[in-house]
Amino acid sequence: MIAVHLAILSITALIGLVFSYLAITERDLLKAVAYSAVQAIAYAIIFYLLMAPDIVLAYVAIAVGIYSALLIFVIGKTGRYEVV
Amino acid sequence: MKRLAGLIIVLLIVLTVSCYVSRMVPPQKNLHPLGEFYLQNSYFGRYSAKSPEAVTSIVWDYRGVDTLFETAVFFLAIIGSLTLFRLNKGQAEEAKRGEPKLELPGPVATVTKVTVAMILAVSASIALHGQLTPGGGFQGGSALAVAPLLIIAVYTKYALEKNGLDKTRAIIIRSIGLLGIALTALVPLLLGGYIMQNQPIFPAKALGVPLGGSLVFYNFFEYLAVGAGFTAVFLLLSIPEEKFRKFLGVRR
Amino acid sequence: MILLLWSFTLISLLATLVISVYGIVAKPNLVKKLIALTIFGDTANVLMVLLGYRLIYPVVPPILPSLSKTALGEFVKTAVDPLPQALVLTAVVIGMAVNVLIAFAIVQVHRLYGTVDARKVGEMLAAFGRGEK
Repeated sequence: MIAVHLAILSITALIGLVFSYLAITERDLLKAVAYSAVQAIAYAIIFYLLMAPDIVLAYVAIAVGIYSALLIFVIGKTGRYEVV
Repeated sequence: MKRLAGLIIVLLIVLTVSCYVSRMVPPQKNLHPLGEFYLQNSYFGRYSAKSPEAVTSIVWDYRGVDTLFETAVFFLAIIGSLTLFRLNKGQAEEAKRGEPKLELPGPVATVTKVTVAMILAVSASIALHGQLTPGGGFQGGSALAVAPLLIIAVYTKYALEKNGLDKTRAIIIRSIGLLGIALTALVPLLLGGYIMQNQPIFPAKALGVPLGGSLVFYNFFEYLAVGAGFTAVFLLLSIPEEKFRKFLGVRR
Repeated sequence: MILLLWSFTLISLLATLVISVYGIVAKPNLVKKLIALTIFGDTANVLMVLLGYRLIYPVVPPILPSLSKTALGEFVKTAVDPLPQALVLTAVVIGMAVNVLIAFAIVQVHRLYGTVDARKVGEMLAAFGRGEK
């Protein structure tokens, strides 16, 4: 039973890894924000599986709501594409 | 294609290293003694915070001074942001000039209104039940800050300002919250205790509901401070960029 | 098996930490640096909470289920450590406020220099220092 629990935990950590890789290598900043929001959802599930309901409540509102909105405002004021 | 190759290399490295490490990682099955002390004492025991929620009682009682200074960092970060976007009186008046977007399709308006009301109720319940169930001032405040954000996204920020929630009011609410935290921290000094003392000084129960002493006050004031602080920041951030360029005289 | 899954979780979080440090150092765009910085902070918070987890099966959150002294013994045997959670809880919200400050600074840099590319801002600053323009 504990193996199932830890398997879900490790798969979620893997999703977090993949989407943060995609977010950092992406040129289009709006897409990067979307990828990093998916990574934030994965981390919220990790916090839930680690038995931390307090942090889940704060983290979902902060990382999926406020933080994405902040970055979309900033991208709207600066520029959408990253020049390398 | 190059991205995919990099991703596969990263995954292979992770898999190999974790196979290698799994033989020497310690299986952590026991609590640390300090954590066990907090679990034993948060409701029963001699050093009790009279709250069944161990996390909230650590945040505002056992490690209260730490959280007090974290709140000071929060205060400074928000003040710094407001100072970077500072406007004088005439400019602030001009930034407020504008019309809210009112011609919306019916379902959008209804859903937004219902959602905003629900967010307000849920965030208040998260904050005020913080000493009994998961939740508290920080969580409730960050949930509260989503509601004005939703209104800004749907109706633009002029709708908030027309209905009386402008930047000055948000800053006033935030200052009330921070002052409340400071006063609740200083009250025990007047009554002969030490700073941020909780238990014998504040009431443990009211109407049969455990209050956790000072925890409920701290949670309420932190709820106001966090929610209004983020609201003030987003009201400034949603001023259109052309207006700011005109104020600064930038021609680029 | 249990330890393999546990170490896989740990190592993938550490790899996320390394990738986000790469993003902070190597990417020239300031907004991209902010995204990487946020991922770095979140991953550090998750690793902090992992310190307080226990590898046992009936594991419960650190909230007393009922207000009776008989339940306390069973609760202490199965609950996770509350201290890392309390420290991370404040760090999440305060980290967000600091990110807001950084984002405002980035917007201001874009207003003054017309770009958010760290290399171009550096060149313009150097030209400004030499007294050109």
